[in-house]
Amino acid sequence: MSASSPRLLVTDANGRRQVPIDRPVITIGRRSESDVRVAGVGVSRQHAEITADNGTCRLRDLDSKFGTFVNGAKATEQVLAHGDRIRLGEADGIEIVFLVGEDDVSQERSALSAATELRHMASLLEGLRALGSGRVLDDVLALVLDSAIDVTGAERGFIMLANEEGVLEFKLGRAAGRATLSGRTFETSRKIPEGVFTTGKLTIVEDLLDGGMAAWHMGTVALGIRHVLCAPLRLVRYLETAEEHGEDKVIGVLYLDSRERGALRSQAARTALETLSTEAAVAIENARLYRQALERAKLDQELKVAAAIQQSLLPTSNRSGAFFSTAGSSLPCRAVGGDFFDYVDVAGDQFGFILGDVAGKGAPAALLAAAVLGMFGAEASYQSRCAPVMTKLNRGLFRRAVEGRFLTAFYAILAPDGSLVYSNAGHNAPLLVTGAGVRRLETGGLVLGLFDTATFEEESLNLAAGDVIVAFSDGVSEALNEAGEEYTDERLLAAVAVNRGLPPRELLDALLADVRAFCGRATPNDDVTMVVVRYNGESA
Amino acid sequence: MKLEERIVGSVAIVTVTGDITLNKGGDVLLKDKVQSLLHQGYKDLLIDLSGVSYVDSAGLGELVQAYVTTRNRGGTLRLLNLTKRIRDLLVVTKLLTVFEAYDNESAALASFGASA
Repeated sequence: MSASSPRLLVTDANGRRQVPIDRPVITIGRRSESDVRVAGVGVSRQHAEITADNGTCRLRDLDSKFGTFVNGAKATEQVLAHGDRIRLGEADGIEIVFLVGEDDVSQERSALSAATELRHMASLLEGLRALGSGRVLDDVLALVLDSAIDVTGAERGFIMLANEEGVLEFKLGRAAGRATLSGRTFETSRKIPEGVFTTGKLTIVEDLLDGGMAAWHMGTVALGIRHVLCAPLRLVRYLETAEEHGEDKVIGVLYLDSRERGALRSQAARTALETLSTEAAVAIENARLYRQALERAKLDQELKVAAAIQQSLLPTSNRSGAFFSTAGSSLPCRAVGGDFFDYVDVAGDQFGFILGDVAGKGAPAALLAAAVLGMFGAEASYQSRCAPVMTKLNRGLFRRAVEGRFLTAFYAILAPDGSLVYSNAGHNAPLLVTGAGVRRLETGGLVLGLFDTATFEEESLNLAAGDVIVAFSDGVSEALNEAGEEYTDERLLAAVAVNRGLPPRELLDALLADVRAFCGRATPNDDVTMVVVRYNGESA
Repeated sequence: MKLEERIVGSVAIVTVTGDITLNKGGDVLLKDKVQSLLHQGYKDLLIDLSGVSYVDSAGLGELVQAYVTTRNRGGTLRLLNLTKRIRDLLVVTKLLTVFEAYDNESAALASFGASA
């Protein structure tokens, strides 16, 4: 068969082969007697035939169920021209190219079709995202490899992608005929892929036995692999995220090999692969980004659950007893936060309340806050004084806490007769609002969890009916407005002065509303927590 | 956050410029610097905070951790030139009772028994 005689280049699940059109009629179909036997969904038993008459080849559809297409257009009968692509029904993975000329346009054409397919894949990705498929990356890698094997006529290939440390990792291997190969199958040297990854240059090794290279590639040569074509997967920046300052980035390599001497040598194969690898890099990166987005979405969901659990750890915000009424609120700036408050019943009909702030934000702070609430609940009900509870919390945290993690807390116990004892461990001093004015509650000791021998003091006071304590986290006093200014203690004091006559719930709402009004549209920069406790006087 | 160190006598002075916060990763750098100085054999450390406008709770934790690390290794860590903001923060958290802080360098150096 001379290169100029008409022939079909057939690629399907059985591999790639040429079928000469050397008879008056060539039949194509699923039937075993067909001259071109192709298997696939949508291929009829007798699908089409090609008649050759004086060098003119004519394709005729044999009333196939799903039709015959030439270059994408449905055909019933058509004279074939060099390079025409024939498709049978909707069958994926089958490509028949009609050739008659000397030059082998099939590869360029296949390269174009492969690139088109990849672009098609990119748009399909959108659909896969909507479906939430986690297999996008694997599917893309398989498609890229199959296309590359088709385009170059290689026997097998694999893709390696760089991990976060920039080390190449084997991702997927495929052989002609769309079979997946295990990583062990590739007993090849890492030298070529790593070289291509480092230099970013497409490399063709025509014969591993030439040029003394055999010594470098003994394992590969032993398997009879002679020819290697290895291309960088170069990501051309098309996103606006300019992390790489607009430079191209090599995300991995595409490696193909063949036992046939010179099979990968043609310029057409090389051009085709360069086109393909650029499209492939984009598709792979998109699939990777998509997978990361999926993982983030999962994490977001877990955080939502965590936030719900955290809110359930806090007491119901309002609590009233025979001699007191309270209101409390804690709003994390992220899904979960490091602020907390709790109410506790103390022996002698006393009422205890704590408000605290773990250094840092988000999940780590929230976990420590939950641990503190647990310790507090265990200690506080057995102690009728504040300082010993602070000492216990400090020791407990010091033993358990991570380096440099600490918290500030204010704990107070109010008795029915109006006597108040409190201890402040490094927390923003709460306000005691009385008929005589406002004073700060500062007595106590160091922040909790940093020094195991820290000691804590407490102060005893007597409240009159109507006296109010406003405890808050620094997320209140340090809330920022859009201009980057702080709310400050002064603004809080002014808001308290205006609203001091209100019952706790209304007072709390008024104070938080004042903070929100100050902040305007600025994003909250810290957790905002406030507890208001009012002494109502001894009940009759 | 930027860190610059210079040695006066036996005292290593670290000048911090910028905010010490969790978000900017600055807190980790300070800890590393202190570790490194201790490793080099310096026992007297002076942290100059005149160029620091803001310390958040994580940054504060890091300062304390630096203090504790130094003390546990038999050294002394003192603070120099607190801005009002940081002084207020140390007062509220009562950490000013832990840290020794100085308003001028020669007094701070003298406290270590070193001469300028």
